[in-house]
Amino acid sequence: MSATDRRVREVFIELSDTLVDDFDIIEFLDRLAARCSELLGVSACGILLADHHGVLNLVAASTEQARLVELTQLQNSEGPCLDAFSTGHPVQHPDLREAQDRWPRFTAAAVGAGYLSVQALPMRLRDTVVGAVNLFSKSTGQLDADTITLGQALADAATIGIVHQRAMARQEIVTEQLQTALNSRVLIEQAKGFLTHSLSIDVDEAFVVLRSYARANNRRLTHVADDVVQGRLAMSALRSVTPG
Amino acid sequence: MSRASLIRPLEWTIRPAAVRVWTERVDHDRSTRVWGAIRAVANGDESSPSLLHAVTACAQVLFAAGAGLALTSSNGMLEPLLATDAEIGELDELQFSLGEGPSGDAISTGAPVLETDLAGLDAGRRWPAFSAAVAGRGVHGVFAFPVAAGAARLGVLSVYRRQAGPLRTDQLQDALVFADAMLVLALDHRRGVSADLDEVIEAAFTARRAEVHQAAGRLAAQEAIGVTDALALLRAHAYSSGRPLHRVAADVMAGTLKLESDSSPPAGPTDPKELGPDHAEKEQEED
Repeated sequence: MSATDRRVREVFIELSDTLVDDFDIIEFLDRLAARCSELLGVSACGILLADHHGVLNLVAASTEQARLVELTQLQNSEGPCLDAFSTGHPVQHPDLREAQDRWPRFTAAAVGAGYLSVQALPMRLRDTVVGAVNLFSKSTGQLDADTITLGQALADAATIGIVHQRAMARQEIVTEQLQTALNSRVLIEQAKGFLTHSLSIDVDEAFVVLRSYARANNRRLTHVADDVVQGRLAMSALRSVTPG
Repeated sequence: MSRASLIRPLEWTIRPAAVRVWTERVDHDRSTRVWGAIRAVANGDESSPSLLHAVTACAQVLFAAGAGLALTSSNGMLEPLLATDAEIGELDELQFSLGEGPSGDAISTGAPVLETDLAGLDAGRRWPAFSAAVAGRGVHGVFAFPVAAGAARLGVLSVYRRQAGPLRTDQLQDALVFADAMLVLALDHRRGVSADLDEVIEAAFTARRAEVHQAAGRLAAQEAIGVTDALALLRAHAYSSGRPLHRVAADVMAGTLKLESDSSPPAGPTDPKELGPDHAEKEQEED
């Protein structure tokens, strides 16, 4: 193994710090790609990450050549990274010059860029596979077991961070929904009160007016309520749907 | 300067979190204990744990007179939604009416606000109107805890104690877990808002909040001003007349109280009709 224990510890601490306010996933995975190359003694590292629809995207690559090779995988839907993602298991090949049958287009691109062997590691947390890490070497042969173990541990640490960060982001969306629920209730009451004065009707009638107008114009009740209190809606338009 | 002009603007400025959410560091045993207390209250009701059970259990565990939950709506306004009893509800509403108090500070800083003596000088300087009014009602300790998910500040759990003095460290930690429990009970991961919170919002609006916002809308139309200004007018009148905001709002909606914007200041406390002793008694009976 090419890295010192101290450096390995530092990198794990760095990768665990995803719960910061200004967390940026691209920057985070860029760092992971750079650290993988550094600690695992490989020539390059590329990372594919699945989006919310389960579609893989290239998010980081430690070199420009690795970026192009990864893009070739995505464009042609073939390659070790995709296999690691779909199976959830590590995939490797010690000599890509002999892998034409398995991944013809990927192999051509990788060998063309000077990469002769590859190791792909899934980014997995329990049942969820969020992406895969590709390790490229300019020499043939398999990575040793310790290196693969360390590589998988780095991928796992990053995965936990990403899954946690996504859970937090989802919670914030849910929180927004909650405030919307409260805000729309406030808005509708304000609009009802507004109409009791403008149309000289009572609050129950005011609600009927709001609802009838929203239905007749195929608009959301809260949007109509907002227009009313902001004075953007002519009272004559509402009077036409006033009961009685 | 009229008394009403002392009222601060209602919108608290929201600043980025200065303090990382404390509840992230909550230990497991404490969490089990706090949820146990909530379940015990729920069992007494023969129902599953709700937000009301949580505020009730929180008040019990902290030896408090009561506790309340207010949620932030647009512009950082804190909508008082739930309280252990009517008196506590009025204290939460008072913070809304005055636009000052520990809850607003807890939201704007993202950190708990611990006021151990409302009759003290510090509290008097920080929230002059609120501390005077609340100390006058025999409540001396107020502790406000943000209910937050990451950077999103959802609302505030307020705990009111009759006695002055700080919370013990373990009570303080319990309170943080209660604030976290509020979040869990308010949200539903499939639907967003939990059915319990839906009911809490509905009940609060049915009881008093609907009229407050209706009255703001009515005043806005009548005076051709924005709803925020209209609400400020209502709040100013509530403050200067010493009456709960929802009563003022009800009178505006019933047409028995006419308020006008700036040109003529809202009726002051000298208005005998508003401050009569019989009036105060009647309000207590109604609650």
